[in-house]
Amino acid sequence: MRPRIALYLLMVVAILSASSTVFAHHGNAAYETSKAVELKGATVTKFVWGNPHTFLMFDVKDDKGNVVHWAGEAGSPSSLGLLGWTKDSVQPGDVVTVYIYQSKTGRPVGRLNRIVLADGTALKDSALGYREQ
Amino acid sequence: MKHLLIASVGILTAALAFSSAARSQDTPTRGPGQVDQRPPSVYEKLANSGPGGPAPVHDLTGFWNGPLEPKFADKPSLTLLGQSKFKMNIPDPFSAHSNDPWRTCDPFGFPRSATNETRGLAFATMPQGLVIMTQYSKIWRMVWMDGRPLPKNFGTKGGPSSRWYGYSIGHWDGDNTLVVETTGVDDSTWIDRRGYPHSVDMHVEERYTRVDRNDLELTVTIDDPKMYTKPFVDVTNKFRFTPQQQEDEQLCVPSQAIDYLNTIAIPAGQDELAGQK
Repeated sequence: MRPRIALYLLMVVAILSASSTVFAHHGNAAYETSKAVELKGATVTKFVWGNPHTFLMFDVKDDKGNVVHWAGEAGSPSSLGLLGWTKDSVQPGDVVTVYIYQSKTGRPVGRLNRIVLADGTALKDSALGYREQ
Repeated sequence: MKHLLIASVGILTAALAFSSAARSQDTPTRGPGQVDQRPPSVYEKLANSGPGGPAPVHDLTGFWNGPLEPKFADKPSLTLLGQSKFKMNIPDPFSAHSNDPWRTCDPFGFPRSATNETRGLAFATMPQGLVIMTQYSKIWRMVWMDGRPLPKNFGTKGGPSSRWYGYSIGHWDGDNTLVVETTGVDDSTWIDRRGYPHSVDMHVEERYTRVDRNDLELTVTIDDPKMYTKPFVDVTNKFRFTPQQQEDEQLCVPSQAIDYLNTIAIPAGQDELAGQK
């Protein structure tokens, strides 16, 4: 009986391992997605319109006035294109407000929720990152 | 008692496996207040375009839109060699820990080009065959329709060299089904995003059936006795004829992928949090 129980439990572990391996693509487990952090006055330094995901790099001053270099990923160009983004939606030097799900490591990196341009236009991430706040 | 235990373990397994899958697929479970802002894709918009009339005979020419990913069919039964190869493959293009060829934008090879990122597909006629073009990575494959046989003896001295996309021949089965056979694919590639392996002797059959003017159905069948105990259907997929014939540009750029890993994936701790170093 006991060896059989062990066998069944082993099967459980094997199946779960297989399922997580198969579906691990595109996960957001690294990010604290319960609430997006608001970062005002973010100065864009780089925008990569690429695969597998686009990402935005930007500088923000912290409470002490120190410049912090942030990076935030968003969906693929194909997904973001459906939401109104283009390769030139943001350019280095642009000042925007960023809403981002920060990494659970606490480092200045995360998944974008949305960015708001200087003219008030909001560019949302694709389904993976965007949620109403 | 014994049966109850077995049943409980089975239910627990299914429930956990399902929840794990649901949690981390492309469309994740949404929490309170979270809304799906992704508008319908081009493929989804074509859902109501109707059949458009009968399918023309022996003609798939043009651009077709597909879903992001196909439907996986059978779970293949691996040989011992296949099992050992499969265990070594760690899929995930977003992880520094994986050895997924996609991570560094290595060529998908075939049939992964037909089983992964399937949003766009096109066919064009050539003097002695046709070409099948894949939107993702702008891949094109020559399919000889002139009756020549597939080459043999890959991996042997004096034999032909295997290639990323192998060698393909095709013929029509009836008026509306194109059958393409492929072999001689470089065995460093995977057959799909799940990391299933293959040998250079793998034989792949694609069956494209144009159901009507606007609808195309695909079945991809793998036969590789070195890796699998029997032939199996890897994926099925459905495509819709694109009225405007407008393709998207989807390129996996190595420098961008490396930049992504160094700028996002590693600092974000995607592998650390998954227990991988």
